[in-house]
Amino acid sequence: MGKSDNTELTKKARELLRKQVDRKLAAALETCVRCGICAESCHYYVADPRPEHVPAYRAEKLRQIYRGLFDPIGRIAPGWVGAVPVSDQMLDSLVETSFASCTMCRRCTVNCPMGVDNALVVRAIRSLLTATGRAPEMLEQLAEAAIMREEGLEYIKDLFLEQIAELENELREKVGDLKARIPVEEQGAEILYVALSGAHTILPASVLFYATGTSWSLSLFEAANYGVFLGDTPRAKRITQRIVDEATRLGVKEVVVSECGHAYTTLRWEAPNWFGKPFPFRVRSLVEVMAEWIEKGKLKLDPTRNRLAVTYHDSCNLARNSGLIEEPRTILNACVTDFREMTPNKQHNYCCGGGAGLVALPEFSEQRLNAGKPKVKQIKATGASIVAASCDNCRHQLGELNEHYEMGVEVIGLAELVVNALVLDKGRVPGKEPVVAATV
Amino acid sequence: MSTVETSAAIAAIVGAVVAVVGCAWHVRWMFSLPFKGDVATAKGSASKGVMYAYTLGMAPWEKESTRRHMVGYLRGVLFHVGIFAALVVFVASPWATVIWPSVRLLLAAVACLGGIAGLLGLAARFGEHNLRAISTKDDYFAVALVSLFVLTSALAVLSPSAVPVFYVVSAVTLVYLPFGKVRHCVYFFFSRFAFGVFFGHRGVIEGARSQ
Ligand code: SF4
Ligand code: SF4
Repeated sequence: MGKSDNTELTKKARELLRKQVDRKLAAALETCVRCGICAESCHYYVADPRPEHVPAYRAEKLRQIYRGLFDPIGRIAPGWVGAVPVSDQMLDSLVETSFASCTMCRRCTVNCPMGVDNALVVRAIRSLLTATGRAPEMLEQLAEAAIMREEGLEYIKDLFLEQIAELENELREKVGDLKARIPVEEQGAEILYVALSGAHTILPASVLFYATGTSWSLSLFEAANYGVFLGDTPRAKRITQRIVDEATRLGVKEVVVSECGHAYTTLRWEAPNWFGKPFPFRVRSLVEVMAEWIEKGKLKLDPTRNRLAVTYHDSCNLARNSGLIEEPRTILNACVTDFREMTPNKQHNYCCGGGAGLVALPEFSEQRLNAGKPKVKQIKATGASIVAASCDNCRHQLGELNEHYEMGVEVIGLAELVVNALVLDKGRVPGKEPVVAATV
Repeated sequence: MSTVETSAAIAAIVGAVVAVVGCAWHVRWMFSLPFKGDVATAKGSASKGVMYAYTLGMAPWEKESTRRHMVGYLRGVLFHVGIFAALVVFVASPWATVIWPSVRLLLAAVACLGGIAGLLGLAARFGEHNLRAISTKDDYFAVALVSLFVLTSALAVLSPSAVPVFYVVSAVTLVYLPFGKVRHCVYFFFSRFAFGVFFGHRGVIEGARSQ
């Protein structure tokens, strides 16, 4: 972490902030009236009700800098409006505020009478910290690794294809068809499916693509975008560019993103803004595609194969930030016999505490597990044995909450539940074993 | 008109000019900044989202937070209704004597309740530890000043002798408006607009969702 003198740091902070302040951020910085009624909308505050966990408190940290740099009163009488000069110490203190104490879930935004977008403010803080060399090392490394994967693709491609060939064997066994494939670099495929690292995001989707006879190709890249968590738009754009190039090269009509909250929000909503235009292909989540298959009768499902009580955790990115609200319910109502809603749910759901890169940061695991308390309470209240979640970060966090708070539930993705309920042609069900042990 | 009355009236006019020019500056500044709405194909309607943001979205029952803090929220609403009444009194004050007594009484009652709501809000800001932690000196001063503005408007509409005092308080309030927290009255519209566009376009707001 480089130390610089305050004059230089102030100049840099001013430049960085000036670059970031658009009409939305200016509105978020100027509109808050410090009424405090957003407090209980934040899972951090619900878990541990102290002033530092009030959403407006976090946003005030950037406002203190902003007022000192841009507000005339802040410059003349800083104490009057709470302006604070930029210093190394003050920026260092923002690392925990922005990377460990806010998942940018926007629950406070939908609960703010003024509509203040505190998540946008926290993103601006992250951006400032990343640009001044203060971002958590792990996020930096993961973002770099994604970029290096493209640069070194020729060296890792063979290994990747070998791994996929192994998965393909599993798929064949599961569907009982030696011709079943996991296509990679399939020119002219209709769909480019972008998974995450780990077979659990590839295999269930492959079964479903097989069952529906979909023309698809598995992406060489992962959907995760750690540049977004860093608030580093150029790097986030670079990471996205790999997928855009691949989709364009293959000429696909659609890019389907695995069950992942931030990856979907990034590719569906944020990335087109960075490129300044909509993509020449459609972007959907696997959740939307599965819901459409079910609505169109393309999947034959036997919900009695998922008899245990299931509840659904709405990922903040998918529900509150992307409007994927009814699709998961269409899926669950078709593939399980006992679906129980959490309260609150849909766009009002509590964040699980694992978003915005938190699950990748072991140094903040204590804060993360603590912030998950409201989610634990919600899950327990449903009495469900299975928690379905359409986001890998959420699943990771829910899994840890499950262990830490001894909830005794099983955490799985929607695609896995659908595959469990799937009946292939002539009444066959995929594989001898279900994808996960979710049936009784 | 006495010298005091004339000076107070001039001060009030100067205050009004500063407030209008100041607010216009803030509006102009906001429009000079880029507004980046989502360019991706919509899942809902941004315009319906904006409509919601300015109307139903402000209803006290619409949000968990306002349901939970119903008393505080309604206190704030009452305070703002009082501010509107005070502004009406300010604009209509030269013709105060020809306004129907019943209308004057109504304005005074609304302003009085609004002013009291403002003072109660101020007390809450002093008393509640969360609010204390997020408040600046400007927050206390602004609420106190505007409450005074609202309360003196109630006096002015009932008794012409209180008009000069109301004008002086108005002058201070209006001059301060573009510089302190009160300027959120301008930014509020931008913030709710951005809220409506964001959640409407993405189909998060129920009434704005595509079928
Ligand atoms: S963010 Fe909204 S709800 Fe929270 S203190 Fe600010 S204005 Fe009030
Ligand atoms: S965005 Fe979410 S985590 Fe961040 S302050 Fe708001 S409610 Fe809390």
